[in-house]
Amino acid sequence: MNRVRYRLVAVAVLPFLLALAVDLLLFAALRDRLPTRLATHFDGGGTADGYADRGSYVTVNIGLAVGLAAVWAVIAATADLAVRGARWVVGAGYAAAGLTGYVMAAALYANLDAVDGSEVRLPLWQLVAGLAVAALAAGAGALLLRLLDLPSAVPPPGPGAVERLDLAEGEVAGWARRAPSRTLCAVGVALLVVGGVLTYVYGWGRAAAPLACGLLILGCSCPYVTVDRHGLTARPTVLPWPRVRIPLADVDRAVSREVKALAEYGGWGYRVRPGRSGLILRSGEAIVVRRAGGREFAVTVADSATAAALLNTLAERAAVR
Amino acid sequence: MLFRVDPASPVALGDQIAASVRRAIAEGTVEPGERLPAARVLADSLGVNVHTVLRGYQRLREEGLIELRRGRGAVVVEATSSRTRAGLLVRVRELVEEARRLGLTEDELVALVRTSLR
Repeated sequence: MNRVRYRLVAVAVLPFLLALAVDLLLFAALRDRLPTRLATHFDGGGTADGYADRGSYVTVNIGLAVGLAAVWAVIAATADLAVRGARWVVGAGYAAAGLTGYVMAAALYANLDAVDGSEVRLPLWQLVAGLAVAALAAGAGALLLRLLDLPSAVPPPGPGAVERLDLAEGEVAGWARRAPSRTLCAVGVALLVVGGVLTYVYGWGRAAAPLACGLLILGCSCPYVTVDRHGLTARPTVLPWPRVRIPLADVDRAVSREVKALAEYGGWGYRVRPGRSGLILRSGEAIVVRRAGGREFAVTVADSATAAALLNTLAERAAVR
Repeated sequence: MLFRVDPASPVALGDQIAASVRRAIAEGTVEPGERLPAARVLADSLGVNVHTVLRGYQRLREEGLIELRRGRGAVVVEATSSRTRAGLLVRVRELVEEARRLGLTEDELVALVRTSLR
């Protein structure tokens, strides 16, 4: 890790530690005026319905702050700095810290001078106030990040070298390959298992949704990608539908490039992002097509260099005719 | 895997498809146990008749490179030797072409191979 990275982790962890410090200081200062049994949980009307002793208030507060700080530390330590989303995640940490810090403090104040906690009320507007504090904290976080001098977010690497395939006049070529996704397969199987357990426990009614989703995801977890006279096509191996196709006339140029599923496309599956979309089955090499309108479409598949070269060749040939 | 067929070539289209698969197995682009595209899909891709593709697949089956199973389609034989076998078959094709270019008859070529086997 370099210095920028350490600073980013420090900035990401800071709000949780600050919120914890404020809450603990408040607790220490108000300790003599708090009842031994604190109201710590409230229903929608603001009436207390859950209680804890003072010791567990401190424990829960420390546990919550340290846990959240650890999560954000890991995110900050591993996030791809070149992606704008990293900043948003750190900002969200400030918001989360602001909200939990405020609500914890508000609960303390609500308990002030109470006899045993049962008459304590924490109205719902306190939550709104908490959200306002969260927004302020997020703003502060954004300002701090600006001071941090992070490397600027770069757009995804532009098209690399545009390769072509050496095809004889009149020679016809096609390229086909399966693009299995371990992630989607695992999600599909997990949903089926959940559905199976639900069927066993509750019967069909509650299991229908996870079972249907699991089957759908599993069915789409291994698309078949072809490049031929129709253009670039991706469809599930077992079903003719759903199908994604980019006709040759729509292909400006195609390249083979490494893509990152989480950092660039925010996950797996059919992803839509500003200016680009993609069938992202895994991180790794992908055919990235720049379409006639300037939008990008990516499919992650092995041997993508051959496919991209063939797509360029076929598209040019189609344009000449 | 890349399939190439040239209608202008004297080699039959089915054999050209078989040659593409052979090359892909020999180069390791297609691994043992991997499924080849369905004949219908490949025929549509290349704009050839389904039977042409099936003829190519049939030839590969005779060579012991793929298995044709109902419902599962064409699958590359799951043996570690598949790749080297495909490489050998590619070279056999080259040998035959070279012999034809030299004007050797079938019997002469077979006799030559037989002599080197002894």
